[in-house]
Amino acid sequence: MNRLHFIRDKFAEFYEENASKIEAPSSISRREFGFFVFKENMVIRHKGFINVDALRIFIKRIVPSHAYYSAAYYETPEETMEKKGWLGADLYFDIDADHIPTECGKIHDTWLCRNCGFQGRGVAPDECPACGGKKFEEQKWPCEVCLESAKYEAMKLLDFLIEDFGFSIHEIIVSFSGHRGYHIQVENEDIRMLDSVARKEIVDYMTGVGLEPVYHGLRGKTYGASVISGPNLDETGWRGRIARGTHEFLLSATREDLEDLNLKRKVIEEILSKRDEILRSWEKRGPWSLIRGVGVKTWERIIKKAVESQSVRIDTVVTTDIHRLIRLPNTLHGKTGWLKVNFPAGEIEEFDPLSSAIAFKKGEVTIYVKEAPEFRIGEETFGPYENEKVELPMAAALFLLCKGAAEVVD
Amino acid sequence: MPLTRTDIAKYPFLRDAAEEVRREDLDIQSLESPELGSIIKRAIERIEEALKNNPPQVSYRKLEEDIEIPSFPVAVIIAAASGSNYIKRRYALAEAIRSYNLLREEKREKFLEVAKAFNWRIRLCDDTIGDRRFDFAVFFTDYLRNIKLFHESSFKLVNRPLLKGEVFLTKREAARLLLEEIRRRIEERLNADVRSKLPEKLLNQIEDLKRRYAGHIKETPFEDFTGEMVTEAFPPCIEHLLSDAKEGRHISHLGRFTLTSFLLNIGMKPSEVVDIFRSSSDFNERLTRYQVEHIAGARGSGTRYIPPSCETLRTHGLCPGLSELCRGVKHPLAGYRRRIRTFKKES
Repeated sequence: MNRLHFIRDKFAEFYEENASKIEAPSSISRREFGFFVFKENMVIRHKGFINVDALRIFIKRIVPSHAYYSAAYYETPEETMEKKGWLGADLYFDIDADHIPTECGKIHDTWLCRNCGFQGRGVAPDECPACGGKKFEEQKWPCEVCLESAKYEAMKLLDFLIEDFGFSIHEIIVSFSGHRGYHIQVENEDIRMLDSVARKEIVDYMTGVGLEPVYHGLRGKTYGASVISGPNLDETGWRGRIARGTHEFLLSATREDLEDLNLKRKVIEEILSKRDEILRSWEKRGPWSLIRGVGVKTWERIIKKAVESQSVRIDTVVTTDIHRLIRLPNTLHGKTGWLKVNFPAGEIEEFDPLSSAIAFKKGEVTIYVKEAPEFRIGEETFGPYENEKVELPMAAALFLLCKGAAEVVD
Repeated sequence: MPLTRTDIAKYPFLRDAAEEVRREDLDIQSLESPELGSIIKRAIERIEEALKNNPPQVSYRKLEEDIEIPSFPVAVIIAAASGSNYIKRRYALAEAIRSYNLLREEKREKFLEVAKAFNWRIRLCDDTIGDRRFDFAVFFTDYLRNIKLFHESSFKLVNRPLLKGEVFLTKREAARLLLEEIRRRIEERLNADVRSKLPEKLLNQIEDLKRRYAGHIKETPFEDFTGEMVTEAFPPCIEHLLSDAKEGRHISHLGRFTLTSFLLNIGMKPSEVVDIFRSSSDFNERLTRYQVEHIAGARGSGTRYIPPSCETLRTHGLCPGLSELCRGVKHPLAGYRRRIRTFKKES
């Protein structure tokens, strides 16, 4: 049986039984909806629904491979973009493992040069090492390390939203995207009318773009070692983050890390030999005036590292786009067969996407797998597979089929 | 601390808006009556001060409340009726700067009262963060709404203390923000169409004013690029995007938008822009043509788009880093314009 037909049939069965679990976004009649359908990857946009029943019936009928709704509110959502009448938008953040340099090195991903067919693992290079070609086909997989890294970024983002921006945990909706990341949405009257310039400032705050340490307490002469003071560990906002990030960096930095900062050899020796002293210094005024030869300019380079580790890696375009379509919760992701699921922000640490997002829990199917890395669904681990026929539980099989890594065996 | 008559003379825009409209209607009817002569005279002076002072600033006349208060709405009508965007912008700014200077002399409590009249969520504070003392805590959305035109890095949100939704500010900084709020509010009021309702005599006075200050009025039309395109003068961000596009590398949606709108704005034809994307791995002629023409303003809303500012490119990782060429440049088109001039001088 054709792969896409099989997936569509399974998605149809799922929605027949579970469409009732799709909840109405707030102010549903003000939202625009969009869908991808399996046939020729066609897009249906500018849809509006007066209530959730109409939405559920529509989804059952068309069986989308992806379903989206707008973070924005409109006067008339079904009109063309210019005539919709923008009424505001929720604040939205997208965290995707694609944007995070993870420890797994994306070794599970593969790429293929379109020019010469050369293949490799990890993130696709700028140029094909064989022929110098620049166009690649990529196959990406969500691994546990990728998902954990994305979760860690989401947790940092929550800290920013709650501690710095003062949002209550109840107005923040956290969800697993159904693939390699997390979505965080703030529904709150205060931010609804913010334009994209204002949202850009919020993005820069989260990503540390444009941050200058001098505004966060780093004081001293520009050159030489006469730094007087800097922020401390227990402070709020970026001041505290700079201190904690610097602390972390100085305690774990290897000789190579310090060399990467272009520090003088003497300074590197100072830092490496004074680790204990640096640790103790935080009880008082911090290490800012402790290390000989380290002045404001050098501290700025070290703080840059701290900012990198403390800031959040988000897809900046999603947050500043005030017309963005976002995936509809409790619908299936066409690239995995998993669900986008919401969960309370307070439960993020224990949240396991590979259990919570599983949609298909019944039946088995035999498939022929071309190539797939090891992966987990619920409590069970599968693979790796290479050119083999296997009988798998429906969720695992559908995952490989959706990924385009397998075909159904009749 | 209630607002006194002196306060209204200092900050005349604080008057209840509905009341203002009623008054303005009245004023328009009776603008020819001789008792109003001194009010109209002062109203015209307010605008003259805006045009001739640099930086633009309206003066404050203590103890002349009976004229200071009503001359403001009349000046608003006159500026609106001038039909000149330059006069409108300049006048709004001059009134805002007047308030800014007065506000900085006020007690913090009075300052708070004025800010609250604009529905700001603001409170007094006496917090010291690090070695800086702050006077006010302002809700971050009120802050963000008013820093849009600021370029100083000290006003970037990421460089401010922000705690539980509140941005901490000194009185001077808060006054800068309020200046911006006042400027915008006055500018909004200047868009009203009042010309048809005005008496002949006043219209003549307005024309006279425009004639007398013709040398000061600088309407800046959107400057179109003419002549040959100078690829050597492209800013680094555009150069990067262009070479990526030609080599068929993947470019983000915003990157494509930036490149396309830049090239269209400096005079490239839509069909030539489409050709640049031809080597892209997912090139679709029909779709690309549609998108390029949309950005050119030939489709959809008819808006011709300009590329994002340097700030925005930085946020989205499209700025390859500040190079020497970009010093002081805030927009890729401005950078290009400046370098063209250098090239022309050299050749």
